[in-house]
Amino acid sequence: MDLKTLCEAQGLSGREEPVRRMILEACTARFGADAVALDGVGSVIVTRKGTDPAKPRVMLAAHMDEVGLMAVSATEEGLIRFRAIGGVDSRVLVSKRVRVGYDAPDKPALPGVIGAMAIHQQSAEERKAVLPIEQLYVDIGARDKAEAERLAPAGTMITFETPFTPFGEGLVYAKALDDRVGVYNLLRLLETPYAGELVFAFTSQEEVGCRGAAAAAYRVQPDIGLILETTSANDLGDTPDALKVCRVGEGVCVSFMDNASIADGGLYRDMLATAQREGIAHQVKQFVSGGNDGGAVQLAGEGARTIVLSVPCRNIHSPTTVCALSDIAAQEALARAFLSNL
Amino acid sequence: MDILSYLQGASVQFGPSGHEQSTAEWLKARFEPLCDAVTIDPLFNVLATLKPNQPTARGGRAPRIILCAHMDEIALMVVEILKDGSLRMGNVGGVDPRILPAAVVTVHATGAGLPATPLTGVIGAKAPHLLTEAERKQNYSREDLYIDLGLPAEAVRSQVHVGDLVTLTGQTIALLNERAAGKTMDDRACIAVMLEAAERLSRMKHAAEIVFAATTQEEVGCRGAKVAAHTVNPDLAIVMDVSHAPIPASRPDTTIPLDAPAIGYGPYLQFKLVDRIRQTAAKNGIRLNVEQLESRTGTDTDTVQIAREGIPSVLVDLPLKYMHTTVELLDMNALRECGRLVALFAAEIDEGWDEALWT
Repeated sequence: MDLKTLCEAQGLSGREEPVRRMILEACTARFGADAVALDGVGSVIVTRKGTDPAKPRVMLAAHMDEVGLMAVSATEEGLIRFRAIGGVDSRVLVSKRVRVGYDAPDKPALPGVIGAMAIHQQSAEERKAVLPIEQLYVDIGARDKAEAERLAPAGTMITFETPFTPFGEGLVYAKALDDRVGVYNLLRLLETPYAGELVFAFTSQEEVGCRGAAAAAYRVQPDIGLILETTSANDLGDTPDALKVCRVGEGVCVSFMDNASIADGGLYRDMLATAQREGIAHQVKQFVSGGNDGGAVQLAGEGARTIVLSVPCRNIHSPTTVCALSDIAAQEALARAFLSNL
Repeated sequence: MDILSYLQGASVQFGPSGHEQSTAEWLKARFEPLCDAVTIDPLFNVLATLKPNQPTARGGRAPRIILCAHMDEIALMVVEILKDGSLRMGNVGGVDPRILPAAVVTVHATGAGLPATPLTGVIGAKAPHLLTEAERKQNYSREDLYIDLGLPAEAVRSQVHVGDLVTLTGQTIALLNERAAGKTMDDRACIAVMLEAAERLSRMKHAAEIVFAATTQEEVGCRGAKVAAHTVNPDLAIVMDVSHAPIPASRPDTTIPLDAPAIGYGPYLQFKLVDRIRQTAAKNGIRLNVEQLESRTGTDTDTVQIAREGIPSVLVDLPLKYMHTTVELLDMNALRECGRLVALFAAEIDEGWDEALWT
């Protein structure tokens, strides 16, 4: 499945069904329905039996869900009030296009925009003040509250509208590269050589607290959890080196630690050695920030050894996330090389 | 006229203030089928003339009317190329820095000469995980944001020059209830009003000569209109620009409703003509709100009114939400009503139009 289709699919945390359907279809076609399961929080768990029981059971995980917005009510003038699902900085929302609701064959999502007061009408204080989510609205052109609430009742999911677009030399911008990149690579790894049992977990609800990964890891009880993610690259312009976290285009990022987990030391060293030996572009995450499914997998049940491979991503959690195709390929290559050497 | 497809076509034309040539040519082609003569002046103003098609009431000189709406768009420019090849930007017109984080832009690179090569860029924003408490409370200033071209630094340096123009992007989309949103609705939507009026007037009897002026450099001080008004030498002027429709944060009395045209009232606007256009609206069942403007209007009126020996002027407002963003939102029915109103008003102007104008 191509990355464009995955990124443009809608799937906010807890409402991942459009993406989930694509993954179910692809995995069932490959392994048959018996190998594919859905768990109690909507993650897709695909089990590939091993031939060598001495090999560790590995769970490869990537999350299906994306950050976005959820309608909560409408104003008298027909504007949709919303809340963020996942960590969205309200400053990236002004002057953006969104899609209200999920596409259905008979009823496409409604286009909408997020505006703000014109610069001409802002006071000096207003120009400085960040507009919080509570003061932003989605405008679908509705005439009044009744029309807006009929078309976008509370709970309607709202996704960013950003066509997947290659630009520059080998970069792409899109919504939801976090973590459709991981999903894409997980699907590419379905055939990867490994004699042990391999479980592919397409997890739900990462952006709201790594819920899916916790349940999935509990079910799978892996010896090793290998998480394919994206991570913030803060690397533009004259940002001090120590704050860059990682750099787009310089390879897959291996984390020794983030706010949710400390990588298993052995796996961390193995991963760097493998990358070096195989000549796979890689870098070490230079800043302790963020957190992901790695934390949930490490602590599930009796615990597991975990390691996270991340694709550097600029403007993460915004409508316009940016990754390098070469880093995406390096993530796949390193995961593949790691498994074949395990 | 198909308003939506015009708006979609107009909004992608390259036309930052002072660089409107290609937009002017695109617009010239739109006016040509509707008008008797269309020219482009040295400032890239498009002047499209509709000759009178009936004699004046008493056989005297036909009055000449200028209708103005501006074609230039707010934009940015490259002010610094950083070591890593990302770009720092400056303003060309009033771009609100609030709309910039995570925006997609086009850098018009002149490294290989003209015409410029369009390069896609994304404006970088720091991830929420990395923001300090203090940073979360402050808007980004333009100086803190970078354009990311996704190119190696050397490639950027060979293609991009300081001073290269940067335009905002965003397709014009149709929303519910005949509303549309996109960039450059300010003020290319009012050029749609002129095209709508031209189409109507070409089927109506009018004693006046009517010159449609699609003007330039409005966003940097209404400069194109000053020259257009001089060249056309009109007896009276009808300026069309967008004005603010209410949003929840609006202050009282600073907005006009989205769904109908409005007429400006205040010292810059000729009071008798304002009365007359209100009568035209009333006679023809056009809902017309009034915008009170106690001083400068911030539109082409400001320079047109004092061109040559002074030109009695009126300002017709097309209401719009979210001005100077890439999601400027308008009501296409209000746009059509603006066109109907100015066509009807222009058709009424005949010899003697200025009797008792100031008394």
